[in-house]
Amino acid sequence: MSDITPETRFDHAFHKAADRHERVWIFFTIALLALLFAGTLAFVAVDFGVVAKGAGFYKSPLTPADSPLFKSGKLVKTGPSAYSAYVTGKLWYWTPSPIHVPQGATVTFYVTSADVIHGFEVQGTTINLTAIPGVVGTVSYTFDKARIYHIVCNEYCGIAHQSMIGEIIVDRRPT
Amino acid sequence: MSVVIGAERDSAPAIAWAAQKRLMSLFLIGGFSALMIGAAIGPLQALNYADVNAYPFLRPVLQSYYEGLTIHGVLNAYVFTFFVTSGLLVYLPARELELEPNMPIWWTSFGLMTIGAVMLLYAMFDNSSSVLWTFYPPLKGSPYFYFGMTLLTLGSMVPLAAVMDLRTRWKRANPGKLTPLVTYMSAATLLMWLLAALGAAAELIVQLDPWSLGLTKHVDPIIGRTLFWWTGHPIVYFWLMPAYVSWYAFLPREAGGKLVSDPMARLTFALLLIFSMPVGTHHQLQDPGIAPVIKAIIAGLTLSVALPSLITAFTLGLSLEYAGRRRGGRGWIGWFTALPWKNPSVAAQVLAMITFIFGGAGGIVNGSFQLDNIVHNTTWIPGHFHITVGTAVTMTFMGLSFWMIPHLTGRALFSRKLALISIWLWFIGMSVFSLGMHWAGLFGVPRRAWVSELPHSEYMHVYGVAHFPLILVGVGGVILWGATAAFYVVFFGSLFGGKRNETPVHIPFTEFLAGPEGSRLAGILEYLWPITGLTFLVTLAAYLPVLIPFFQHQTFAPGWMVW
Repeated sequence: MSDITPETRFDHAFHKAADRHERVWIFFTIALLALLFAGTLAFVAVDFGVVAKGAGFYKSPLTPADSPLFKSGKLVKTGPSAYSAYVTGKLWYWTPSPIHVPQGATVTFYVTSADVIHGFEVQGTTINLTAIPGVVGTVSYTFDKARIYHIVCNEYCGIAHQSMIGEIIVDRRPT
Repeated sequence: MSVVIGAERDSAPAIAWAAQKRLMSLFLIGGFSALMIGAAIGPLQALNYADVNAYPFLRPVLQSYYEGLTIHGVLNAYVFTFFVTSGLLVYLPARELELEPNMPIWWTSFGLMTIGAVMLLYAMFDNSSSVLWTFYPPLKGSPYFYFGMTLLTLGSMVPLAAVMDLRTRWKRANPGKLTPLVTYMSAATLLMWLLAALGAAAELIVQLDPWSLGLTKHVDPIIGRTLFWWTGHPIVYFWLMPAYVSWYAFLPREAGGKLVSDPMARLTFALLLIFSMPVGTHHQLQDPGIAPVIKAIIAGLTLSVALPSLITAFTLGLSLEYAGRRRGGRGWIGWFTALPWKNPSVAAQVLAMITFIFGGAGGIVNGSFQLDNIVHNTTWIPGHFHITVGTAVTMTFMGLSFWMIPHLTGRALFSRKLALISIWLWFIGMSVFSLGMHWAGLFGVPRRAWVSELPHSEYMHVYGVAHFPLILVGVGGVILWGATAAFYVVFFGSLFGGKRNETPVHIPFTEFLAGPEGSRLAGILEYLWPITGLTFLVTLAAYLPVLIPFFQHQTFAPGWMVW
C-alpha cells in the first residue's frame, strides 16, 4: 500500500486521459446499442416468417393433437405454392414423418406436443419452435433446395430424446 | 479513506473473526465440493458429443447421460455458485466495514442451503429426478428434488438480510457517508437476486411442490417455463456479479495497481440490478403464445445489459493497464505482459476476463431476435455459458480461493505451480470445448442430447456434418479433467496440508484513482431501495403482457416420468 502514493504525477496524467477516453467509450457504446435496438425493432415489421407465433391455447394437451388436421398427417394446400403442415411431438417421435414437400413450396408449420415439451428444429433452416403441450405454435419456411432435412428435437424430453428425429423430404420440382 | 478506517480500527473493540472465518470456509468448501462432483461428470458429456458413450460402464452410479447431466447442471450452476456467493457477499462487506455480521442469519442461509443440497443429491443420484437443471414441467421428478431446490433458493436469498443489517449499522455510525464499495456491490447483487428469485420461488412453491406431492394433478407448462426464466436470466448476473466484485475490489490491488474509478463500479452494479431483471423472456423467443412485438422489445432491451459490461471492460482494462505500467510495462502490449502472471490468482482472473469478452459477444447473438433461431437449444448455448459462468465466473472463484484459503486458514497455497497449471488447463480446455460447441451448434446439433447412444451410422448420418467440431468438444472435455484434478489437489492440499503461514494474509482491498467522494453519480446511486422498487415495477411491466394471456388460457397437463 505504502509504495503507491496517491498524488503522483503519473496518477494525475493517467487519470485525466482515462476520464476523456471513458466518455468517448461510453458515447460509442450507447450509440451502438441504440442502433442495435432500432434494428431489432425493425424485425417486427419484417420478420421473414421465422419468428415463432402462437395459434391457440387448449385446456387439455390432447385437444390439438387429436384434432382431425393434426391426425390426418397430410400437407394442406393453401395457395399456388403454399402449404400447411400439422406436426405433433410425442415421446419419442414426430408425426407425421417423413413429410414430403414440393421444391419451392412455402410451408407453414403448426406444431404442438401431446405430452412433455419438445423442440421442433429443422436442421439447416431457420425453423426453431418450442412444442408445448396445450399450445399450438406456428412458423413458415420456403424450401428452395431439393434435399432431405432432419427434424431434430432440441428440448430434453426423456430417455430417448436423442432418437426423436423426423424427416422432411423436399421433392425435386419436375423440369 | 484507509486512514479513516484505520483510526476506527484502533478505537473499536477488536473482532477476533475466528467464527466468521470458519463459516466462510464452510461456504467455500461446500461450494467447491459441489463443483468437484459436477466438474468430474462434465467431460463424460463432452465425450458423448464426440460419440464416446461411457455411460454403459457407469451403470451402478449413473443410469444415463441425462442423470449425469442433471447432477452436473444442478451442482455447478446452483449449489456451487450459491454457496460461494452467499459466503463471500456477507464475509467481504463485514471485513470492509469492520463490523461483525449477524451470525444467526448467516448460519440460517448455510443451513437451508445445506439441507436443500442434500435433498437434491438424494433425488438426483437415485435417478428419480433426471429433469435437468431447468426442470421444465410436465417432466416430473420426486418431491425431494423440488423441495430441495426450494430450500436452496430460499437459503440463497437470506444473506441480503445480513448485508442490509451491516450497511444500516455502518450508516448509523457514519452519517452522511456513502456505503463503501464492496458493501455497495454486495447489496446491489443481493437486491437483484431478491427480485430475481421470486420467479423460481413462485414456480416451485405454487406449482411444483404441491404437484410433486400429488396435491394437484396438473400443471401449466408454459407458465412454469416463464416463471423459470424470470429467474433464469437474472441468475446469470447472480453468478457474474460476485466475480465482478472480485475484479473491481481486489484484482487491481493484486495486480499491483488501483481501481481507476469507484463511481463507475457503482454505476455498473446499479445498471446490472436494473437491466438484468425485465428481459428473461428472450429465453422464450421460440415459444408460441408471446406476441412478436413483445419479443422484439425484450430482445432490444436485452442489449442494454451490454452497457454495464462494456463499462466494466473499460474500467477494468484501464485498471490493469495502470497496474502494468506501474510495474514497468511499456508500449501497446507491454503493460499486459508486465502483469504478475506468476501469481495464480491474478492469472486466473485475467484469463477469466479475456474469456468473458468472447462470452459477451456470443451473448449478443443469443439475445438477438432472428439470430437466435439458428442457435436456440443447439450446442451453441452451452458453448456460450461454459465460457461465461463456466470460465469467467468459475475461474474467478478459483483465483479468489488461491488467496482466500491462506487468508482463512493461515496455511500457504499447497503449490503455486500446480495452481497455475490448473488455471491454464481450464482456460485451454474450455476454449477448445467451447469453440467446438459453438461451431457444432451452427450445424444444428441439439444441446443436451445423448447422441452417442445412437447407432454410429445414425450419428454420422445426422451429425457427421459437424464431426470435427464435435471431436474438439471431446478433446476439450478431457483437458478439463486434467484441470479439475490439478485444481482440487491445490484446493484440498492447501486446506489440509498447506504449510503454516508466518505472516497473516490480508484481504486485498483495492485503492482508487478516483474515489466516490463528491461524485454526484455515486450520491444518486446510494438510493438502493428506490432503485430496487423501480426495477420491480419495470419487471412487472415487462412480464404482465406475457403472463396474462397464459393465465387466461391455462393448460392442465399431467406429469411424465420418462427417463
